[in-house]
Amino acid sequence: MSQLQARFFTENKRYAVDDVPFSIPAASEVQDLSHVINTLLQAKNESHKQVEFDFLVRGQFLRTSLSSHMETEGISTEEVVEIEYVERIAAPEPEECMMHDDWISSVDADTEWILTGSYDKTARIWSTEGKAVMTVAGHKDVVKDVAWVKRDGLTSLLLTASLDQTVLLWEWNSERNKVKARHCCRGHTGSVDTIATDPTGSKFCSGSWDKMLKIWSAVPTEEADEVEEPPDRPRKKQKTEQLGLTRTPLMTLSGHSEAVSSVLWCDSEEVCSASWDHTIRIWDTESGTMKTTLTGSKVFNCISYSPLCRRLASGSTDRHIRLWDPRTKDGSLVLLSLTSHTGWVTAVKWAPSHEHQLVSGSLDNLVKLWDTRSCKAPLYDLAAHEDKVFCVDWTESGLMLSGGADNKLYTYRYSACQTDAGA
Amino acid sequence: DLSDSEDSVFSGLEDSGSDSEEEEEEEGGGGGGGRSVRFCEVLCAVQDIRNTVGNVPMEWYRDFPHLGYDLDGRKIYKPIRSQDELDHFLDKMENPDYWRTVHDKQTGSDITLSEEQVALVRRLQSGRFGDVDFNEYQPTVEYFSRDVMLHPVTNRPADKRSFIPSLIEKEKVSKLVHAIKMGWIKPRRVEDDSRGRYYDLWASEDSSILARHKMHLPAPKIPLPGHQESYNPPPEFLFNEEERALWEQQDAADRKLPFVPRKFSSLRSVPAFPRFVHERFERCLDLYLCPRQRKMRVNVDPEDLIPKLPKPRDLQPFPTTQSLVYRGHSGLIRSISVSPTGQWLASGSDDGSVRFWEVCSSRCLKTVQVGGAVRRPVCLTHLDSRVLLLSPSLADRQVVSASELLLSDKEGAEPVQGAESLVTWSEAEGEELNEGIRLKIQHPKAVHQVAWHAKGDYLASVMPDHSSHLQVLIHQVSRRRSQNPFRRNKGLVQRVSFHPLRPYFFVATQRSVRIYNLLKQEMTKKLQANAKWISSMAVHPGGDHVICGSYDCRLSWFDLDLSTKPYRMLRHHKKAVRGVAYHRFYPLFASASDDGSVIVCHGTVYNDLLQNPLIVPVKVLRGHAVSQDLGVLDVTFHPSQPWVFSSGADATIRLYT
Repeated sequence: MSQLQARFFTENKRYAVDDVPFSIPAASEVQDLSHVINTLLQAKNESHKQVEFDFLVRGQFLRTSLSSHMETEGISTEEVVEIEYVERIAAPEPEECMMHDDWISSVDADTEWILTGSYDKTARIWSTEGKAVMTVAGHKDVVKDVAWVKRDGLTSLLLTASLDQTVLLWEWNSERNKVKARHCCRGHTGSVDTIATDPTGSKFCSGSWDKMLKIWSAVPTEEADEVEEPPDRPRKKQKTEQLGLTRTPLMTLSGHSEAVSSVLWCDSEEVCSASWDHTIRIWDTESGTMKTTLTGSKVFNCISYSPLCRRLASGSTDRHIRLWDPRTKDGSLVLLSLTSHTGWVTAVKWAPSHEHQLVSGSLDNLVKLWDTRSCKAPLYDLAAHEDKVFCVDWTESGLMLSGGADNKLYTYRYSACQTDAGA
Repeated sequence: DLSDSEDSVFSGLEDSGSDSEEEEEEEGGGGGGGRSVRFCEVLCAVQDIRNTVGNVPMEWYRDFPHLGYDLDGRKIYKPIRSQDELDHFLDKMENPDYWRTVHDKQTGSDITLSEEQVALVRRLQSGRFGDVDFNEYQPTVEYFSRDVMLHPVTNRPADKRSFIPSLIEKEKVSKLVHAIKMGWIKPRRVEDDSRGRYYDLWASEDSSILARHKMHLPAPKIPLPGHQESYNPPPEFLFNEEERALWEQQDAADRKLPFVPRKFSSLRSVPAFPRFVHERFERCLDLYLCPRQRKMRVNVDPEDLIPKLPKPRDLQPFPTTQSLVYRGHSGLIRSISVSPTGQWLASGSDDGSVRFWEVCSSRCLKTVQVGGAVRRPVCLTHLDSRVLLLSPSLADRQVVSASELLLSDKEGAEPVQGAESLVTWSEAEGEELNEGIRLKIQHPKAVHQVAWHAKGDYLASVMPDHSSHLQVLIHQVSRRRSQNPFRRNKGLVQRVSFHPLRPYFFVATQRSVRIYNLLKQEMTKKLQANAKWISSMAVHPGGDHVICGSYDCRLSWFDLDLSTKPYRMLRHHKKAVRGVAYHRFYPLFASASDDGSVIVCHGTVYNDLLQNPLIVPVKVLRGHAVSQDLGVLDVTFHPSQPWVFSSGADATIRLYT
């Protein structure tokens, strides 16, 4: 059996070992290396407890034996191999299963409350423990997307976008558990598929099947905006249907040639949108102009942006999750493809506290936890759903959520290693 | 009498010269020695009448009563001839000596030859000597032989001149030498060809003739005889029992050898070759049938003959995998249709309902029970004999309101004439209105297909019927008017379609597709599908190409600018083709078949009239289960993405991306 010269290092001071090359068997796998590190640490510190480690060789997770990994990566075995080790990411533990009446189209969670949109034309508010708190009913058609706007103490503002071409802005008081429709945002001429609130909580952006992006004010006011009504429209009808005060968009961004499937705010002045016309566009909300176009080859279903690594992740209909750098000027460079799903990728979400991890949901009933350092295979497959997965979310408190066509919203507790979070 | 004739015959045989005869006569008269004379004497003793006129033609005496004169100078009178042909014949039949009776012209008498004379004649006829006693093979005396005799034939000594040089010759040679030296005799002149008397006759020969000469093929040679042909072949060439049996069993054409080798003790005992004529004939046949010209064989790699088609990988995008399954129907789904935005999918099923689906999530958002099997929904359905116009209210609200306005606008509706009231228009009310049904067009018979005009105001419906001319109706929605465009029944109408850009109308009957100009109201073209029964038809968005699927597994592509015959027939399906569709702008078309598969083909159409469409099958999409011998019933493309929807007899709709 051949031997390799390896030098181990880690960024975590707690698990640091001596910076000397070791000779290790070439066929050793992750368990063997983990055992080596544990033995070394125990030799240094008697009180060390057994810790599972994962190993990175030149930024890629080690998944096979060391020799075959180095062969596929094209790393010379003659020199000393630098192996980084990190504490193994523990498997997310399933926590709650929240039953809905109908398919779950969207989910948005913060540290306290979970907001879900459903195909039964309602949105629901749940506590993170899985208790149904509130049902927000008012749309005349399927709720396609939901979003929290901001929370001032006990009152929260939330948004629901629906197939009935409107977005409703609601005010919810968690103490009295009362919800009130404040504004009905009219202007889209197609189903509103996606909404996103800006980081300050004063504006939000919506994307629709009518190929438009619209930016609206998220601040509730007491007066309605004037809407130009078609003169031949029966007047009696519209008043009765009105729920909340009418609101018109601040700005309309047009440029997509197909339906907009996903929008998000990169920062307070930049909106990023993904569309069925195979492009991701980045818009400047101050001037209302398009800044960058990233062109793909397939329909984009969802995008997610991580401010930690400044990467866009997109899920498309060809089963791949692609990572983009939105700063490139029309280079449309795909940085990385994560391929393991067998159906359309319908949802992706970056980890809010980790620059390498993201979670994705797909029509193949699976939710996958990825690490960008291991692009060939995901870290974990979360096979809880029995039908298509439509939405995933990841809160800053380490809760992962996924909902789909089996009417269930699953939550998983992700035990983020404190040591790793700082990395 | 006899003897004389005998003599003359003999003499005539021996020597026809007149001299000899005279001589003979003289001799005869003289009684000189010689066989013939002696012979005559014997005869003459009986009666000596000899003609003395000599060797003159007897015709000279034709007008006289006599023939000549005998030795005494008396006239020899012609015998009285009273014999006619019949007497001749009787004589021939009855007289046993007739065969040896000869007529003597000189005496005019008939002479019967004796045995001796007959024998003599026979001997002479067979080329032998007349004399019986003459020996032709007398031993020869050899005067000169190869043996050197002891004594020379002559013993004369050689002449002196034979060993002394000749002075005369020497003188002649010296004279010639002198003449040459003096220049009187000149050496033979070499002819120069400066005047061009000699030239290459074939210099200006056409090279093609030379090439033809080169191409000359010599006649096939007869193979040289081998040991097998020998009369005494080595024993290994002889047949044993098995080989012989095999040879006899085999057909003549299959035999390795055309004969059986045989062994003879000597060449003398070899019999005549019985197959000689046969063999000559075969040889002649060989020569006759052998090629006269060398055939230029072109060595072509069969791979090169296959037309160069681009690889499917280069023709992307096209649907490759099944992405979504739309479940909910309980009966087989006859037809599907996608909304122009690509957000909605409508399906009509045999369970009597129309369902509207969200494309991206396979969610059924609306179900309209219409009662009766639905053949074709296009935001509108039609069933047994009614056409219902549905407003799904899923589209843009303004579009919806505009179309609602159109559908509810009664002002434009004209009062229907009594004679033309083929169909009944009625508004939906109450429950049906809430469900989305807006208009009902009651047809007299079952409606099989409905086609919308590109502008959306007109729609055509098909009621196939063998006997009636009332098969196709064109309805105008805004004016609530229907008309029957055809006076005569041209066959069972299968499908109709409007031209996407120009005022043309396509009508597919069982075997052909007719194209009518709606403005001029005449037929412009008739496409022959070469199929037994057309099942489906689709018109290219450019309008210049049509594809037809047929129940005999074929898909035919027509180029309207090229011909009325199919430009290409595709026989990829194993069973009847049920549906065909073009993509609105991607160069794709798809066909659905009862074998449960959807075949997606790439079909690029060029603006250049000289370039034919490029048709490459790119993908077979499977997924539908075959139930009751029905597989995929309808296929349609997403309006903006390279995705294809198919609906099947297994009550599912599948989306392939």
